Amino acid sequence: MMANILDGIVLGLQFGLLAAGLTLIYGLGGVLNLGYGQMAVTSAMTVAFALDADIPILPAVGLGLLAGGLFGLLLDLTLLRPVYRLRGEARVLLSLLLTLGVSFIIDGYLNWRYPLKALSLHIGGGAVEILGVLMRRGSLVASGITLVTITGLFVFFRYTSLGRAIRSVIENEDGARLIGIDPKKMLRLILVLSGVLAALVAVTRSMVAPVDTTSGLSITVFALIVTVVGGLGNVAGALIAGIILGIVNIVAADLIGSYISLILLLVAAGVTILIRPAGILGVRE
Amino acid sequence: MLEVNGLSAGYQGNDVVHDVAFRVDQGEAVMIIGSNGAGKTTLFQTLCGLLSPTSGKVLFEGDDIAGLPAERIARLGMRFVSAARHLFPRMTVEEHLLLGAYPKKPDPETMTLVLDLFPRLAERRRQRAGTMSGGEQQMLAVGRALMSKPRLLVLDEPSTGLAPLLARAAYEALGVLRERGLTVLVTEQQVPLAMAFSDRGYVLENGFIRLEGTTDQLAANPAVRSAYLGVT
Repeated sequence: MMANILDGIVLGLQFGLLAAGLTLIYGLGGVLNLGYGQMAVTSAMTVAFALDADIPILPAVGLGLLAGGLFGLLLDLTLLRPVYRLRGEARVLLSLLLTLGVSFIIDGYLNWRYPLKALSLHIGGGAVEILGVLMRRGSLVASGITLVTITGLFVFFRYTSLGRAIRSVIENEDGARLIGIDPKKMLRLILVLSGVLAALVAVTRSMVAPVDTTSGLSITVFALIVTVVGGLGNVAGALIAGIILGIVNIVAADLIGSYISLILLLVAAGVTILIRPAGILGVRE
Repeated sequence: MLEVNGLSAGYQGNDVVHDVAFRVDQGEAVMIIGSNGAGKTTLFQTLCGLLSPTSGKVLFEGDDIAGLPAERIARLGMRFVSAARHLFPRMTVEEHLLLGAYPKKPDPETMTLVLDLFPRLAERRRQRAGTMSGGEQQMLAVGRALMSKPRLLVLDEPSTGLAPLLARAAYEALGVLRERGLTVLVTEQQVPLAMAFSDRGYVLENGFIRLEGTTDQLAANPAVRSAYLGVT
């Protein structure tokens, strides 16, 4: 049981970080990015090909993060242009359709050209005992990187003027404009950041389990469920929801099977919408 | 400092304000009064860039800013405090004030000035804006605008939602800022408050400027007296 909970926390931290990237774009720009998982997969494949080309692991990972960031920037500069001209529900719907299209194209291309390609990073060294449970070193490194990133995000949003400016756009877009903050620039920045986060999740995930060309959809679905439970646009909520659902997922998969555990996650999201529509930390304003 | 000429604006092709012209000189306090629905808020939203004008010019320090987006106008040194206040509910008082100076570093002297002017904000530095009273929110909206050291402060109905005592206190604070040389443009429904504060004024009716003059001239005008000052 303890082992399951620890594994759940490892997964949950990644869920949380994953959802943070998705929820930020939604909160900031009303854009729902269904190509999010493909951002992660594209980055993972970049790392895998870099490793094939004998590039050492750290620069290879750097290239992967760069690929994620560029993916976000490209979305902002091209496909999302028409989306930004719309407002409200129309904006959400168009962004959802266009990014879904992107996800199909990327999935289709990768599965056609590189059906067997997968990224799996092996972290050397033996298992480490934590709370009486033997944990793989890869899980611990992955969790460490994820925790550091989460802390970094927290510091960025709370204590830097750029981070505060981004939050102000989420809180009240017109209010932000009236004090000289350009929401479009902030959204572009967040798209790049979310791409980097997706890449980071893909890289850390590959230390625990292989990330292959078909992983995109499940990554998007997990991020979406965690985002709903955490509250759309709420980063702290996403992190907490990620950890809870990570534990639920692993424990349920172990006790009743992994297909059922995915259904359980969906049920959790449904129940959250019914009883706390603004998410577990949400406050209706 | 601000010169508006032939400005028309509205929503979805229906103009609400028509061919409006007025000016605000350096160091002046100018009021625009009018009843509910006269077009004051539409006019001000157009000035600050939240709405695009259908025609006309808005010269701010000689440059035409009509149609520029709000974030550009704010950076030019004209700050707008709307009746809706547009605060960030989950952010603290201190975060609002720091953001007011964005992208520059907040100036400690200006911070001291704002906190001296509104001691309530100093007491509530760590409180979230969404949990504050209407009066405190109004102070915060003005304080946030001041942090950027604006050359022109534009206020849309600063007394909205405030008890009479608080509304008077708000205008007292604005009076202090005027003495320090701030140029102010204000709309107000509670005309006596704005009259006591301003040098000159314009009367907006059904989207047209009907009257203009010094506050003394306007206060002596029988039409203004009966319509806005409750004197018959």
